[in-house]
Amino acid sequence: MNLYIVTLILLIVIAPILTSFIKSLKMILLFKQPASLFQGYRNISKLLKKETIVSHESSQITRVAPFLVLSPLLITLLFLPPVMHESSYINFVDAFTITGLISLSTFFLMLIGLDSASGFGGMGSSREAFISALAEPAMVLTIFAISMIANNLGISEASKNLSHNFPQEHMASFIFAGISFFILLLAENGRIPVDNPETHLELTMVHEAMILDLTGFYLMLVEVASSIKFIIFASLFASLFMPFGIEFSAPLALLIFIIKLFLIATIVALIEVNVAKLRLFKVPDLLGIAIVFAFLSLITFYILGA
Amino acid sequence: MNNLFIGLFLATLIIALFSTRLYSLFWWYLLNSLMLSLLALTIGFQTYDNAMIISGSITLVLKVIIVPYLLKVMSQKYNLARQIPPNIKAQYSVLLIPAILVFTFYLAEPIVEVMHHHANYVAISISSLFFALLLIIQQSTITGKIIGFLMLENALFLLGTTATDGMPLIIEFGIFLDFLMTIVIIILAFEKQEVQS
Repeated sequence: MNLYIVTLILLIVIAPILTSFIKSLKMILLFKQPASLFQGYRNISKLLKKETIVSHESSQITRVAPFLVLSPLLITLLFLPPVMHESSYINFVDAFTITGLISLSTFFLMLIGLDSASGFGGMGSSREAFISALAEPAMVLTIFAISMIANNLGISEASKNLSHNFPQEHMASFIFAGISFFILLLAENGRIPVDNPETHLELTMVHEAMILDLTGFYLMLVEVASSIKFIIFASLFASLFMPFGIEFSAPLALLIFIIKLFLIATIVALIEVNVAKLRLFKVPDLLGIAIVFAFLSLITFYILGA
Repeated sequence: MNNLFIGLFLATLIIALFSTRLYSLFWWYLLNSLMLSLLALTIGFQTYDNAMIISGSITLVLKVIIVPYLLKVMSQKYNLARQIPPNIKAQYSVLLIPAILVFTFYLAEPIVEVMHHHANYVAISISSLFFALLLIIQQSTITGKIIGFLMLENALFLLGTTATDGMPLIIEFGIFLDFLMTIVIIILAFEKQEVQS
């Protein structure tokens, strides 16, 4: 139980650091002066000091929705697979619940965009709906495939099964599911091939367009939510698709887990530097690749595993 | 380990089907051949088969280093179009690829039942044969078709190594000779396109 709480606190603490790590690594690769690793915390404290202004046009939803964006993600953090093998975990939750909670958070984010009654908000919301509607089938298929490979529908049990006795004969199927999940990680978190998290150019922004009218405390809530969403996806990827290191003693296992998270962040930063942002109507092609790989993973499991 | 390489072999082929740039197509062909040669080398070292090791290393030198380099040099020399949009739209490919996969897996089922060793690989190599054909169909430029042909060659090699548990070396040399002829034809084709344009 103690280890469970330690992991939970560690994930929340490390979430802003991980997003600022991606940003500073990108700046180093572009030969700029890198931002500090604690820039995320500085932004949070800055936004806490600022005044919160709500537009006259917006209704009560703008005051309520930022909390509802953050809370499903915080609940999802409780359900993540265990990092250490002594640690307790919640095993009645299957992966579909996690998908549902994440889409609930996205739904309230879209409501914020629509509620601000500006042209940008509506545009951002419709784009987000477009992307997440396409990401959903791939997500469900991928998760179904990895549950079949691990022989359990609950993700905590699945990650334990994978790390204890890894099914070598399903390696091909496992890789396809991994590729698909990584594309989803990029798409759902608004990383570069899909959305650029740094610009405020009206043609390209998706996530930033929805939160354009938020200020102060509400903006901080949404920013924290987006960094927590990234760490949820990263730790799901780390425990499901890099199933090693869990069997060591607690501090070592925790260290390996953190290294895995930073490795994923490094890969994301490298992709962001090397790949150009896709045109919005090319995004379905990328998500189509994710769907194909998820389907491929299921097919290879059924026909080759038998 | 073999499963890893064979999975990545199919994955690179499928990503090549979605690529719209010439150099990225070369890059996916390079990775595809790299996976093939690594697979041949691991099977060779596992079964202590010298012929397989030799053909794997020839693949590594020829298909991973020389051919992509030559293709890139040639396409720069003749200033070929670097944007090669596929004829088949991506949204149709999304439906077509799983359909081909399911079809080929059922096609390969009788063979899988007969074989005991590496039975699963036959299905994957037949489906990669079909994907290479799809690549030839959907590319309208000569370079795209050539890459499709080379991918077809890779798929045939995979079928040869896995279905027969290591071909006799002489047949593999025959394939490589065939391959060399292909390169000659490619160069001729480039020059013809140069004359036409």
